[in-house]
Amino acid sequence: MQTKPVIRNLIRFTNSNQIFLLGALLITFLFTFLLSISLGSFNFSILELVNPSKDSLHTTVLYEIRIPRVLLAAFVGASLGLSGASLQGLFRNPLADPGLIGVSAGAALGASIIIVLGSSLFPAFIFGAFILPIAAISGAALVISLLYIFTRGFGYQGITYMLLVGIAVNAFASVGIGILTYISTDSELRGLTFWTMGSFGGASWYLILPAIAVISLSMLWMIPSSRKLDLLQLGEPEAYRLGVDVKKLKYKVIISSAITVGISVSLSGMIGFVGLVVPHLVRLLGGVNHSYLLPGSALLGAGLMMSADLLSRILVQPAELPVGLITSAIGAPFFLWLIFRIRKI
Amino acid sequence: MSIQASSISWEIDGKKIINNVSLEINHGEVVSIIGPNGAGKSSFLNVLSGDIKPTAGDITFDNVDLKEITIQERSFMRSVMSQSQQIVYDFSVKEIIEMGWLDRGIASYSEDFKYAVMNAAEECSILDILDQKFNTLSGGEQRRVHFARTLIQLWRPSDSKDPRYMFLDEPTANLDIKHEQNLMKLVKEKANEGIGVLLILHDLNLAARYSDKLFIFKEGNLIKSGPPEEVLDKDMLTDVYGLEMNVENDPLRVNYY
Repeated sequence: MQTKPVIRNLIRFTNSNQIFLLGALLITFLFTFLLSISLGSFNFSILELVNPSKDSLHTTVLYEIRIPRVLLAAFVGASLGLSGASLQGLFRNPLADPGLIGVSAGAALGASIIIVLGSSLFPAFIFGAFILPIAAISGAALVISLLYIFTRGFGYQGITYMLLVGIAVNAFASVGIGILTYISTDSELRGLTFWTMGSFGGASWYLILPAIAVISLSMLWMIPSSRKLDLLQLGEPEAYRLGVDVKKLKYKVIISSAITVGISVSLSGMIGFVGLVVPHLVRLLGGVNHSYLLPGSALLGAGLMMSADLLSRILVQPAELPVGLITSAIGAPFFLWLIFRIRKI
Repeated sequence: MSIQASSISWEIDGKKIINNVSLEINHGEVVSIIGPNGAGKSSFLNVLSGDIKPTAGDITFDNVDLKEITIQERSFMRSVMSQSQQIVYDFSVKEIIEMGWLDRGIASYSEDFKYAVMNAAEECSILDILDQKFNTLSGGEQRRVHFARTLIQLWRPSDSKDPRYMFLDEPTANLDIKHEQNLMKLVKEKANEGIGVLLILHDLNLAARYSDKLFIFKEGNLIKSGPPEEVLDKDMLTDVYGLEMNVENDPLRVNYY
């Protein structure tokens, strides 16, 4: 009873052209996935996936390094794309992205604390590799709680207010990161700097499996709300009068973005502009309704992130470029173009 | 079968916006609220739609307390059109109209879906702009699209006995005189199909011509209510609006310039 109308709605409010586009995005995604797996400092043929080679080094690189890394890039890209699209819908503002409400900054602050102070705060290997993700998620959760308190439970009329709180939180987090930078030693500083530029290197199954599970669940939770996000575009009072529990929708979007972005930032560092740019590309391709936009943004976000990671691995071989540099280098000019385009309207 | 609002008061920051107002909307009836700016008309409409909770008084829809009705159920029995906000993304006109189609409506009457949208579009004379982007339309056209959405929200098969109400806050704003008359005729038609209609209007003659009952508001108080020919009185109107007016009978006309 609950799921059937949801699925029917997703199909009903997606036109045939959009279904075709989603199919094309899915094929591109699969193609990029295979390409990303096969190319790099080690090249693999696609056949090795189904027919593993006898060479144990080859197999280890493929299954323990390459595949987890590409999967992590895909899931981080999908979660940034999806949360960007849903936040832009919620705030009814095409410039919204997870960075805007301070969630990324909170996660970054949490992670920076561990990078700089971790060795003196915790005896080595007490939580092992999980300390950094846990700190980042706590940072993101703290920001969400602050938002919740300051907007009185994501109150009925509080969107502008929430954006302003986000600005304050961003400023506060950069002060914290600034202080940590100032007191860090040379090697900590190096770790911090590279972390803020983002990378998918060092992904291991043990870290990414929980992340993949949580991100997938959060997507399955979010995508059925696409119709409600459409109605919200009429304005909060209108959506409420059409039977949308606006407050519940806000909870849903903000909490799911916080979780997925917190996890993504913790595992891959700061990767800018994906959440902002991807939904716009998807809208330009085929329309603005969320039943198409949300899955489209997840697919395109994953595809673009794997491509950016692929570029970061092959551009300056045998070294690696931080992937955040690539996404920002592409995203920043696009952002300017977007602002220019909006000003014309 | 009716909406009963009894002794509604609403105050915000210690300021009384609505003061002890009672009102009734029966099925098939067109009820209009008139009054100067700041009289509390739109606030009253927001209270009736359940957007804001009154500080005192009770509202019942067909003898059920409004508080007991979930927002989904409310959306199935009443539609509201108020001054609408700007829409940021490029939705097409058809997509905007289809937003009036509620989950419950889709589940019950999915076969009639396309027909009903086309029908509403034709009634509001927007059939030829269905595929255009909503944002490129003029103010009056946007208004008609929103009205079509309001109609779709209440659309039922002709044999339906569901209680339905329509609240329209200045529906004729931005419309040219032809579309204004079309819209008012359409409202009257919908009332004849059994929908109870609440209007907020500024044009006194339009209100007099199309309403079964008038409610006159001033500074949050209900000054007078009843059928137009009984209510519209020269001295009372002059006092309420602070503007010299004349009322002619047969046909009923208010002259103020």
